[in-house]
Amino acid sequence: MSISPNLSHFLSFFFLLLLLTIAAADESDLVADLLSLQSHSKSGVIHLHDHSISRFLTSTKPPRPYSLLVFFDAKHLHDNSELRLQDLHREFSLLSSSFITNNPNNGKLFLCDIEFKESQSTFSLFGVSSLPHIRLIGPDVKNPKDSEQMNQGDSSRLAESMAEFVQSRTQISVGPIHRPPFMSKTQLGFLIAFFLCWTPYFVKKVIAGETVFHDPKVWLAGSVFIYFFSVSGAMHNIIRKMPMFMVDRNDPSKLVFFYQGSGMQLGAEGFAVGFLYTVVGLLLAVMTHGLVKVKNVTAQRVIMISSILVCFWAVSKVVYLDNWKTGYGIHTFWPRSWS
Amino acid sequence: MASPESAVNGPTMTAGAASKSLRNAFGGVIAFIILVLIGVLAFSIRLFSVIKYESVIHEFDPYFNYRVTQFLSKNGIYDFWNWFDDRTWYPLGRVIGGTVYPGLTLTAGTIWKVVNSLNIPLSVETVCVFTAPIFSAFASWAAYLLTKEVKGPGAGLTAAALLAMVPSYISRSVAGSYDNEAVAIFALVFTFYLYIKTLNTGSLFYATLNALAYFYMVCSWGGYTFIINLIPMHVLLCIVTGRYSSRLYIAYAPLVVLGTLLASLVPVVGFNAVLTSEHFASFLVFIIIHVVALAYYIKGILSPKMFKVAVTLVVSVGLAVCCAVIAILIAVVASSPTKGWSGRSLTLLDPTYASKYIPIIASVSEHQPPTWPSYFMDINVLAFLVPAGIIACFMPLTDSSSFVILYIVTSVYFSGVMVRLMLVLAPAACILSGIALSEAFNVLTRSIKFQLPGIAGNPSIAVRMWRIMSTSKENGSSTVVAPNDIPKTEEAAKEKPAKKNRKKEKENVEKKPTPSKTEKRLLVLPLEASVIAVLLLVLLGAFYVVHCVWAAAEAYSAPSIVLTSHSNDGGLHVFDDFREAYSWLSHNTDVDDKVASWWDYGYQTTAMANRTVLVDNNTWNNTHIATVGTAMSSPEKQAWEIFHSLDVKYVLVVFGGVVGYPSDDINKFLWMVRIGGGVFPHIKEPDYLRDGQYRIDAQATPTMLNCLMYKLSYFRFVETDGKGFDRVRRTEIGKKHFKLTHFEEVFTTHHWMVRIYKLKPQRNRIRGKTKKSKSSRSVSSKRDVRGKRNPWH
Repeated sequence: MSISPNLSHFLSFFFLLLLLTIAAADESDLVADLLSLQSHSKSGVIHLHDHSISRFLTSTKPPRPYSLLVFFDAKHLHDNSELRLQDLHREFSLLSSSFITNNPNNGKLFLCDIEFKESQSTFSLFGVSSLPHIRLIGPDVKNPKDSEQMNQGDSSRLAESMAEFVQSRTQISVGPIHRPPFMSKTQLGFLIAFFLCWTPYFVKKVIAGETVFHDPKVWLAGSVFIYFFSVSGAMHNIIRKMPMFMVDRNDPSKLVFFYQGSGMQLGAEGFAVGFLYTVVGLLLAVMTHGLVKVKNVTAQRVIMISSILVCFWAVSKVVYLDNWKTGYGIHTFWPRSWS
Repeated sequence: MASPESAVNGPTMTAGAASKSLRNAFGGVIAFIILVLIGVLAFSIRLFSVIKYESVIHEFDPYFNYRVTQFLSKNGIYDFWNWFDDRTWYPLGRVIGGTVYPGLTLTAGTIWKVVNSLNIPLSVETVCVFTAPIFSAFASWAAYLLTKEVKGPGAGLTAAALLAMVPSYISRSVAGSYDNEAVAIFALVFTFYLYIKTLNTGSLFYATLNALAYFYMVCSWGGYTFIINLIPMHVLLCIVTGRYSSRLYIAYAPLVVLGTLLASLVPVVGFNAVLTSEHFASFLVFIIIHVVALAYYIKGILSPKMFKVAVTLVVSVGLAVCCAVIAILIAVVASSPTKGWSGRSLTLLDPTYASKYIPIIASVSEHQPPTWPSYFMDINVLAFLVPAGIIACFMPLTDSSSFVILYIVTSVYFSGVMVRLMLVLAPAACILSGIALSEAFNVLTRSIKFQLPGIAGNPSIAVRMWRIMSTSKENGSSTVVAPNDIPKTEEAAKEKPAKKNRKKEKENVEKKPTPSKTEKRLLVLPLEASVIAVLLLVLLGAFYVVHCVWAAAEAYSAPSIVLTSHSNDGGLHVFDDFREAYSWLSHNTDVDDKVASWWDYGYQTTAMANRTVLVDNNTWNNTHIATVGTAMSSPEKQAWEIFHSLDVKYVLVVFGGVVGYPSDDINKFLWMVRIGGGVFPHIKEPDYLRDGQYRIDAQATPTMLNCLMYKLSYFRFVETDGKGFDRVRRTEIGKKHFKLTHFEEVFTTHHWMVRIYKLKPQRNRIRGKTKKSKSSRSVSSKRDVRGKRNPWH
């Protein structure tokens, strides 16, 4: 009789031990699975879906032996240039590959991504409603919604800032980020070799005065192009990353080419007006320098009248567009007695 | 064939020469009168601000320049040079003499002195107000000279007239806009003119003048780096395209040597003239031009065979020297963190640089890239004419015209990156448009003149009469020239090398046999089309004038220190609250009292109220600005402590809620929070935002409703209309009835736009009350107070 309580104690202890070992075995299995998944991926980013999320995250009990850094991706939003999902994902992969090279076989941190269309329930599980979104699920997190989101405003969206974030939250050192060089060594070698071969040839040409740079027409075309490029506001489009056109908000089937309001312009709009700016001057130059040398008077007359019409149309179009876009009412100042 | 030919050769040579010199004199007088009128135009179009408002200095920075000029006129040049200003950035102060571009100040100071010595009693302020319009007239004349060097006087006059009223330049040089750009544009154009003049004449006299003009430009504006990069680029271009000449050498080498020496005399530039990358291009080209000059010299003294041997020697030695120097340059450049370039210069080279790395530069509105309407607003129809001007400069391509092309191409690119640099583009656009218009009028009026029935007889024969050289460096004044005066246009068509050569050429031209011309055609266009084209061009010019006058009158003349609004019945209402507040300060406060306000009003406070400020528009010390920002974003008590520790007596806030003036302190407040929080982390922007929204109504956060800026802005506001409706934010304010504990209102202007508060003095220590004695002890050491309960309650 006296044994039975001991036995029961022993049994319960045994079961507990068994459970623990099973759990431990289970956990080490999970880590091994994650590691193998990681090794299959090229950059080391594990692609998760609803099922694997439940296996690695929701069905496990905290504390887990690993943290997960999850990148929420949506393929259908890749075209959206404002979100820069692809850039961000590239940085994320870079972080992953650098982490793996710096810490081989580290089972503490795994970088994963989830695609929206494949795993919508996971998105709702984490309460992710807007992208870009990166979440760190620490070992102790029970409810997925408690996990910490990487602050988009703070991180400048580069792998380095992501690494800092991970380091500050998990105390796992990521180490230096290994960015792929801009050009591979062989490419660079070819380039240098080509440059070396080409230089003497070029120097000879320059001395002889036979390059394209000695042709004024090239310079003329270049200067007019730079002029066109600048007055069309292309720099604005590059710096602000403006699209060529927008979809009308009220009517998605329509495209908007001209934006009303002077602080902003669309790409196509700028080039159209830049063309109008340039074409008037070009036609004027053709008339003053080219047309005068034509012998046929009728041809002169036809070309001249048509270019005058084009110029007139272009100027009035720009004036009209400018009034429409900026809303300035340019008016004359006549003496009061005249009106 | 005979009759037109006799019309050409009819007058004898002597009679032709006499009438020609008479005509030249006549043309000269007319050109002079036109130039005077252009100067009057340039001056008077900028007076709209004086007529519509009054003779007053505009905006913010001009007030600083005005104050410096006042100091200069009172204390003289040496005191100005050594001036340490203790009225600003209290308690740090600022060394003014070594940190300003002195050109503008010295110019206005000199004008004032000259005028006063002539017994014309003008005040310093009047001189400052009218400096910019005067220099706009000078700039137009400089544009005339420059364009005349490139394409003749006709184009010059057109360019000058266009520059006199180009809106982009008006925006920076209306009467009262007393800023560096006002004189700098003149200096820029004049330096370019002297460079071209030296290039055309090869005269050392002009080369020296050029270096002096460059010195004036360095004194005036940081934009001088544009000159010291553009001219080397042009020299390099000339060398590469095989246009090296001794004239080029004379135009360039003295400029670099003298110019750099002179530039380093300006304290604000100093050793930067040789140490920063902006200047390295000029040194590199300086070396290259010497190598090339040596090569040309050796080529001249050696036989072709010997030269080939020498070339190998020179090229190898030259290359070695060049490589060594380039290596040194690269090493110097690479050793500095920004590669030796200032952030703004880098922004020009890589337009996306600022938006990536320097938010401060990217956030300034005048550093934004412009959209196409900006070009139409600022250079208007010139945007249409410039391409024609570029093409005209390519036919034929000379040293001077290639310079103008380079100028327009670089400036138009820069203006595309930063809207502010539209100002540099404007003169180039005027010059090229002037050339284009002049060439067009030249061809069109010629077509009309020689084809008008009754003047040249049979027009079809007239067409076969003669030909104006295609190299026409025409003066565009063919309307003045009678048809029988062909040799004159011929002569004008010649390029102008050195003076001596010119005389010889003149003789050649005059003696040139005319028969060769008979085989050539007169280059004309159809008559009726030409008439239409002339009319349309005149119309285009008229449109330009209308636009410029409108821009000068409506868009660019507001002084922003005096505001006006039109009431519905057409009446005019003037808001003069700023000057009211500043004069209150100067009359009612002690001369050494310190006034705290946001940095925007620093220059105005020191200049108009003559009181010491903590921060001003020269935002050189971020921590100091952050301290003021922190005080404004803190609750009353902490703010009082901060201000008290800085000896502040008065706090000035600008408030637009009553009249609907949108650029007031409440609208700038988030910047104060951000800048303050950047240095003092206990200020957190989210504390002031409700769900990410900035609001001051009942939904606002308690931190927002208790911060000093809110309280000082809205104190007693509810008494104005009973509801506390803010007309800028278009909402009722959140906290309407409250009292101030540490500040007292001492002055509020007529329209409530400026409110001045005084810091309450520390409470007296009251003996015998244990409750208070505890707190009064802590008052004795200010630092202890922080974080504890309010000692006054």
